[in-house]
Amino acid sequence: MAAIQTWELSKRYGDTLALDRLELTVEQGEVYGYLGPNGAGKTTTIRLLLGLHRPTSGRAELFGIDAWADPVGAHRRLAYVAGEPYLWPSLTAGETLEFLARLRGPDGVDRAYRDELIHRFELEADKKVRALSKGNRQKVQLIAALETRADLLLLDEPTSGLDPLMEVAFRHTITEAKERGQTVLLSSHILSEVEALCDRIGILRTGRLIEQGTLTELRHLGTQTVEATFAGAAPALPPLPGVHVTGTAPNALRFEVQGEIEPLIEALAGHQVLTLHSREPSLEEIFLRHYGQEPDGHHDGGEDRSQR
Amino acid sequence: MVTTTAGKTARSAEPALIRRRLLDARMMTAVTAYVFAIYSYIQPSGYSSIYKTTAERLAFANSFGNSKGLRLLYGLPYDVATVPGYAAWRVGGVLAIGAAIYGLLVGVRLTRGEEDSGRLELVLAAPVGRASVGVATLAALGTGAVVLWVAELAGLAAGGVSVGGAAYLALATATVVPVCAAVGALAGQLAPSRGLALQLGGGTVAVLFLLRALADTVGGLGWLRWLTPLGWAELLRPFAGAQPAVLLVPIAATALLLALAGRIAAGRDIGAGLLRERDRSEPRLRLLGSPFGLALRNQRGALIAWTGTLAAFSYLLGTISKSVSPADVTKSVQREIAKLGTGSITTPTGYLSFLFSLLGVFVCVFVCTQIGAARQEEASQRLETVLAAPAGRRRWLAGRIALALLAAGALALACGVPAWAGARTGGVHLGLGRSLEAGANMLPITALFLGIAALAYAAAPRWSGPISYGVLALSYLWELVGALTGAPRWLLDVTPFAHIGLVPNEPFRVIAALIMVAIAVVAGAVALELFRRRDLVGE
Repeated sequence: MAAIQTWELSKRYGDTLALDRLELTVEQGEVYGYLGPNGAGKTTTIRLLLGLHRPTSGRAELFGIDAWADPVGAHRRLAYVAGEPYLWPSLTAGETLEFLARLRGPDGVDRAYRDELIHRFELEADKKVRALSKGNRQKVQLIAALETRADLLLLDEPTSGLDPLMEVAFRHTITEAKERGQTVLLSSHILSEVEALCDRIGILRTGRLIEQGTLTELRHLGTQTVEATFAGAAPALPPLPGVHVTGTAPNALRFEVQGEIEPLIEALAGHQVLTLHSREPSLEEIFLRHYGQEPDGHHDGGEDRSQR
Repeated sequence: MVTTTAGKTARSAEPALIRRRLLDARMMTAVTAYVFAIYSYIQPSGYSSIYKTTAERLAFANSFGNSKGLRLLYGLPYDVATVPGYAAWRVGGVLAIGAAIYGLLVGVRLTRGEEDSGRLELVLAAPVGRASVGVATLAALGTGAVVLWVAELAGLAAGGVSVGGAAYLALATATVVPVCAAVGALAGQLAPSRGLALQLGGGTVAVLFLLRALADTVGGLGWLRWLTPLGWAELLRPFAGAQPAVLLVPIAATALLLALAGRIAAGRDIGAGLLRERDRSEPRLRLLGSPFGLALRNQRGALIAWTGTLAAFSYLLGTISKSVSPADVTKSVQREIAKLGTGSITTPTGYLSFLFSLLGVFVCVFVCTQIGAARQEEASQRLETVLAAPAGRRRWLAGRIALALLAAGALALACGVPAWAGARTGGVHLGLGRSLEAGANMLPITALFLGIAALAYAAAPRWSGPISYGVLALSYLWELVGALTGAPRWLLDVTPFAHIGLVPNEPFRVIAALIMVAIAVVAGAVALELFRRRDLVGE
């Protein structure tokens, strides 16, 4: 049974289609990176998974429990970090943690682990939320979610506002969670974070999941860059399918290779190659390539609308 | 000094700021102006159609205008035997209170409200000086006062009052707006949050009202009138030997308060107030066990303030109920008075009954504020965090409704006991049981309006405030003035207020109460189901 499974999950706000027939499966124990530009539908997806918004069509199940029909049942097995840390200004950080813990019942959280997290994230628990900076409020939310040790963590841009040191602490904590077998859905803009933590990655664009796979699989879809310098002038090579050539110097060429690299190697074999440098695409390049594409149908992004 | 930066503000900035401020306040101003216009039209036109002859009017003046209890509410009557004199009393007194509340709300909203939301920081980060923001706020407050003045003037003139006289009477009412807005603006400088600013300002306005009430009802305390803007509106004496020189008092008071507020605003940190709140505290873990507990914890301050205010009011109203006497009032005049929607208020117990129904309106307003607080929890997206935990939605909303209901019960008791004590002090015999019954008598209608508010919240979250307060205001206004319009009985019976037995003067109306409760239960159940089925909605 998958931790998250959706069938043609769609959400429409007025005439905006925010999420378009999403088919998402996240297996138990997996850390899934959920990427997409602003307004792509990431937050909409999470709200549908939480049963906070009702699907226009399709459905979602968490551990086999219908997200809309039995939200409370589903929530017993998950914890959530919202995109913005909206908390109660008159409570202290510690009181907020206590309130959110008690919502889960008497044994809902691991208090020893809470203390460890408070220490790790350097949270001042006696400070009122009103007096906390955005990053510090974010820490309150994170600790509240992590201390539950829930089977599934739904994290909506969890590190926004955190400083680089806290970012390291966050990665450490998620790695621990993964080792314990917890499932994580990590919606993020920070590609290095996704690259470092996630087993699989999905890229969402204007409400549609346009790419999905492990980082290796995604790289395979991307363009590999090969740079070659020659002993003499750069040769004129015959046109090769899937290879785009640019001259970078009189004796140097750059090849953008889509797919198999073998034809290029064969074509270069007859020439005096001095250096050959090959580089795999970074997640950022894969990502930017998908952002730059024209959409293959008319879809409006809807995340902004859902912030109503 | 920060004030000197005003000269550097871009020329296009001030009109843009003023426009923004006017738009921010437009809803509140429009609704208040509408109520002002309708109210000031119905009163004089109704009076002149009911009391046609001078003899009738004199009889009315003797019996009604001299009642201290009514003076407390409506203010000091100078001459109620003429249409304008009656209008000055009935319209001027009530609308001055409305103007005070409007001024306070707008004053706080445009100062601390803007700052609390973080928007002011954004504006001041542009090349805009603090003084320019102050000027824009003043312009919006001034416009609001002028709009209310025009609304009242138009209503009175349409109701048959001469234009010149109406203009002066409306001016007397309108003077209250800038003074109370300045009180709000000053409270906004002292308090570091909007809620605290409203509490400070609201407390001040309550005291100002109390001063006026004492001046008008207790012999020898007339001089207190000089201490409150509500008194200055009376001292202007519309239609009774006008004293326009008194206008200087509200002008001076406004200038003084605003100068003080401006001075504080120019020198302090944005986002902070002169009063400091502690940033740290020892953990207090009581009432953190459930959303209901947290709501109670967060609403505790408001609940205490409401209870204290209503208790003090009930006590005061109780003590002066003795001054109401049926002597010299003919049966026909009493009947006519009843038409004014205030029941038979020519006896002490009748008067107390009317006051209980008025306190009932306040309790209804209170339950609407509670649903408003629930809506705020959702609008601020904090509710998402709560509901992402294994906490059911129906249970959450049911908790908020239950809290409002329990608090309303506490408020009803808080009216019954001090009203009894006050009546005893004043020498009116009213049993404690009867008094508590009168307090409890408000609960069915409170439940009804709570049900309506919950339903509005579940069905149309963004409009829940305007709908719930709007239905309540229209229902009560119709009860007060409906009879003056000569509408048929069935139309008058549309408002639920027509169906409350005015305890202790009349018996408790069991069937009407049961029907109200039944409607409330159905509305509440539908609200819970609708809320379970809809999307959560942010700002």
